[in-house]
Amino acid sequence: MAETSQGTGGLKFDRNKRTWPNEANVFIALILLIGLFELIGHYRVGQSMLFDFNTNRDGTILNMARIRIIILQVSIIGIIALGVTQVIITGGIDLSSGSVVGMTAMIAMSFALTAEVNGNPNGRAIFLSEVDGQMVPTPWLHDLPVMVPILVGLLIGILAGFINGVFIAYTGIPPFIATLGMMVSARGVANWWSEGNPVSFPTDQYTALANGNLLDTLTFGLFSESWAMQEVFDGQNPAVFFILLAILFHFIMKHTIYGKHTYAIGSNEDAARMSGINVNRQKVLVYAIAGMLAGFAAILLTSKNLTAQSGMGLIYELDAIAMAVIGGVSLSGGRGSILGTVLGAMIFGIIISGFTYLRLDAFYQEIVKGMIIVGAVVLDQWRQRRASNR
Amino acid sequence: MKKLILATGIAALMATSAMAETIGVSIARFDDNFLTVMRNGMVEHAASLDGVTLQVEDARDDVARQLDQINNFVASGVDAIIVNIVDTSAADAMTAAADAAGVPLVYVNREPDNVDTLPDNQAFVASNEIESGTLAAFEACNLLRAAGLSGGARGYMLMGQLSNQAAIARSQDVRDILGIAMCEFIELIDEQTANWSRDEAQDLMTNWLSSGEEFHVVFANNDEMAIGAIQAMLAAGVDMDDVVVTGVDATQDALASMAEGNLDVTVFQDAFGQGSGSVDTALALARGEDVDQKVYIPFQLVTPDNMDMFTDAN
Repeated sequence: MAETSQGTGGLKFDRNKRTWPNEANVFIALILLIGLFELIGHYRVGQSMLFDFNTNRDGTILNMARIRIIILQVSIIGIIALGVTQVIITGGIDLSSGSVVGMTAMIAMSFALTAEVNGNPNGRAIFLSEVDGQMVPTPWLHDLPVMVPILVGLLIGILAGFINGVFIAYTGIPPFIATLGMMVSARGVANWWSEGNPVSFPTDQYTALANGNLLDTLTFGLFSESWAMQEVFDGQNPAVFFILLAILFHFIMKHTIYGKHTYAIGSNEDAARMSGINVNRQKVLVYAIAGMLAGFAAILLTSKNLTAQSGMGLIYELDAIAMAVIGGVSLSGGRGSILGTVLGAMIFGIIISGFTYLRLDAFYQEIVKGMIIVGAVVLDQWRQRRASNR
Repeated sequence: MKKLILATGIAALMATSAMAETIGVSIARFDDNFLTVMRNGMVEHAASLDGVTLQVEDARDDVARQLDQINNFVASGVDAIIVNIVDTSAADAMTAAADAAGVPLVYVNREPDNVDTLPDNQAFVASNEIESGTLAAFEACNLLRAAGLSGGARGYMLMGQLSNQAAIARSQDVRDILGIAMCEFIELIDEQTANWSRDEAQDLMTNWLSSGEEFHVVFANNDEMAIGAIQAMLAAGVDMDDVVVTGVDATQDALASMAEGNLDVTVFQDAFGQGSGSVDTALALARGEDVDQKVYIPFQLVTPDNMDMFTDAN
């Protein structure tokens, strides 16, 4: 069999395989996973996971509530994963994103607070000043416009990523080490900022960032007037931002010089340098963008939860890396796509919701998550080898 | 506040009186809300005492790191050690290390498994965990009966980290209450961990809501998870008057939620009192005074009726 299938027949088959984008495999895996959960759920809980034929709660045959949470619960880590994907495509790694989320959450949230809660001074305020012998929230640093905490958050994210990038590009230390250092230090900053105290009670504007309806805000309410399904997007802003940012970065990675240079560095750094690409500057840019996305994720996370805590974002970096890897982004660089990472994030979402729907404990969830991460890479390697042995 | 503590800390460093006493403190986690209030209780209480210096370290939830910290405290000759233990079953090695060097040791907040066999110069300051879950669950049971649901009510339970003694104890308290004749009418649809986290609780509750089951009560092992569940229910348009939600800790965030009519029950654990009490006990042991080896600080039920008493507590 081996003898004959090496001929034209085999080649034809391989060529078909080769033109089939990797994202299609991930998508098929996603569908299979949904099918598996539907099947087990049918016997175990007597209910469908994604469909809702009987009660028709949302006016469709879909269980919109579950579909919404599947996307919502992965969208904040998904936003981080968009940046991590670009870093991994350059052949690097970013271990700092979870800690950068924690650090940014604490600092940005401090600028998003109200001075008063139910008529009392905000007891979670960070900036205090003395008025009539009492420590109260500093008036001019509270009830600020929502742009202030957003800009603070984005700048801190960019700064953290910039530091990562500069160390990697100009001192030549491995990305693993540089971002490991940032991971430890940023978590230290998060803990130091308020000495571990939570920062809570943001302004209504800040609350609306994650809990409002972005599509409605952007269209000045036209959206809700013109479409009956608009409620589906209430409180879904993290998911909407995730999808919009994914589309934006998909375009950037496929159709701009920034994208082409990023892939070029990951494929062959020396060749990229020799062909005139400013590799160092490009790397700093990629890490800074990853940091900015982590900062933005922190803003959405604190807005969604109405609080910032120094333990926020713990091990998010590993989930973000896993999403990218499941989506077919190669850790050796140069290969993968934003679309793949989005599909990887969806697989995570299906697993989390699927296990709750089956009423199985979280233990099994993590066991299966681990197996899927390793399984995805094994399959990818196997597929790679087949393609190169052709 | 931060500057105040910093200033007093520096002042304490400067004040090198002959009678200075140093206490080494190892806290399980610096980023835990409740433990932070407790830590503040220690720091502020020590600052108010003359010539008492605290050296506080973060064990970052690592048993081995914590034991190293205790050995380092012993080696640097502190007068007493306070431990907020990471794992309640890992106390033997710590007790032995401090005992061998003759340094007094106080366990705070979490009850070590060897609490009944502690040497004379060691003690334990905390609240009895069995009270917290029981108080909250029983009050929820009463509220549900008062709402006319004694014919049958259904609910969910959000649990803390499954390796944590408080999470295990509080969850078991709820199950025990649901086992007594008066509260048998409450049935748990599902119980899952949300790792003490508001964010995870919010996502978990939304997942539960998506299955469309009817429910009347949500038991949470702490306030953060209760708030997360409330946020999820509010987002889904659930009328909070129809659902009883219980938490534990009586944090400021929880009391604000209670003032808005969302959280129904929480339980006050005197974090600040545990912190300052542990410092007093450690000093008494260091000075060779006679102390109770088990100091219990009681839990208190918090409802909208008495919540004003606790506004500035935790």
